[in-house]
Amino acid sequence: MAVRLVLLWAAVGIPLLWGVEKTLENAIKLFQ
Amino acid sequence: MSSFLDRAHTVAPPGYNRFLVPPAALAVHLSIGQAYAFSTFNLPLTKLIGLSKSVPDDWTLKQIAWIFSIAIVCLGLSAAFFGRWVESVGPRKAMFTAALCFSGGFLVSAVGIYTHQLWLLYLGYGVLGGCGLGIGYISPVSTLIKWFPDRPGMATGMAIMGFGGGALIGAPLSTYLMGRFATATSNGVLETFVTMGVLYFVFMMLGVYAVRVPAADWKPAGWTAPVVANKMITKANVHVDVAYKTPQFILLWIVLCMNVTAGIAVLSQASPMIQEMFGSRVTPVAAAGFVGLLSIFNMLGRFFWASMSDYLGRRTTYMIFFLLGILLYALVPTTGQMGSIVLFVAACAVILSMYGGGFATIPAYLRDMFGIMHVGAIHGRLLTAWSAAGVLGPILLAYIREDQIAAGVPKTEAYSLTMYIMCGLLFVGFLANLAMRAVSERHHFRETASAHS
Repeated sequence: MAVRLVLLWAAVGIPLLWGVEKTLENAIKLFQ
Repeated sequence: MSSFLDRAHTVAPPGYNRFLVPPAALAVHLSIGQAYAFSTFNLPLTKLIGLSKSVPDDWTLKQIAWIFSIAIVCLGLSAAFFGRWVESVGPRKAMFTAALCFSGGFLVSAVGIYTHQLWLLYLGYGVLGGCGLGIGYISPVSTLIKWFPDRPGMATGMAIMGFGGGALIGAPLSTYLMGRFATATSNGVLETFVTMGVLYFVFMMLGVYAVRVPAADWKPAGWTAPVVANKMITKANVHVDVAYKTPQFILLWIVLCMNVTAGIAVLSQASPMIQEMFGSRVTPVAAAGFVGLLSIFNMLGRFFWASMSDYLGRRTTYMIFFLLGILLYALVPTTGQMGSIVLFVAACAVILSMYGGGFATIPAYLRDMFGIMHVGAIHGRLLTAWSAAGVLGPILLAYIREDQIAAGVPKTEAYSLTMYIMCGLLFVGFLANLAMRAVSERHHFRETASAHS
């Protein structure tokens, strides 16, 4: 059950973190 | 296949970890949240024939803009019409249907791009995809509330946060894919639509596979329902066909509509607004970064405010949205006059967090008012407020700005009047929220009687 929990959260968390990182890369230009 | 999708086959066994359910909801909401990033396709769709620039046979931006508008209208309508069906068939079948519609919308649109038939994009991404948005949006709501009776705000906040976060994945993903598929004879939009249709179907199937409903007598270990009576949290249920006729439904419709109208107005014009208010200090690239930053706050606000509402109470949370919102909208013109980009960005970020928070807190507010029995279906009908706000907010801001500029107001101050009008709308929402009272007992559902007594 614990492995399944980690896998499921990773499956949704990793794409979301990738999207946040890409967005922040652009957002930083606002303050440069 | 049919039995796998049935509600009876989704009942969780004893000892099932309830934290396995939010990622299932997130898989669906992160997918359908791509709709917020549809604008990345706007320009490429106007250059399908000309490739480097639009030619007379290409579609215009105005024609393309209708695709998103149709999708949002179909979102509200399908959530309202299919709400009861979603409640009766359970989350797995509803999520599967949403996946078929949403992914099917991409594939039908791809045929439209291949044959250059615009009506297929209206039908595909607009109507079919819009139905996928509506059904997918409401499908996990009542399931999550049942799994987290102790923290309903946090639970729905987690899922609805995904809808806000979907754009953060959808925008860079579509840009990457279009770049990857672009050739000398194609700008890669067709291939991107097909790929995204398949990818999102697979990702949504993760939610279909993982979602479970709790057994009828299940409750969290060690948790007992509060015995101290709270008039604003009912223990009864109200039938969906009765709920929408109550004053509470109308007041909540106004609350959601006003909160969304104000937020969506800023979101829809964020890029031109910051460039016009601060002139050459903000480049188009930096303005795009500002829009991305607002999307992050829109997403985080959904989880933060909905979770806070479990402690503060739903009515108090919306009071904060409206009162703090009025203060911040009134402050926006001043930040422009001061020339303070940091203050302007900070005010808009908090505004957008409360815009997202309004969406995420409303299912728990509905549960408090109408009980859990038909909360998904009632939520679906309430989302018509979103459709109305989606038209009202951007039009208000755009028209008033144009009027102001035509009247000779400098561009740097063209948004001031709109911000003050938004304060007025938020005050209307504040009054509606202030008037909220518990639903009368005569509307409560009784199983032995007819739908209501």
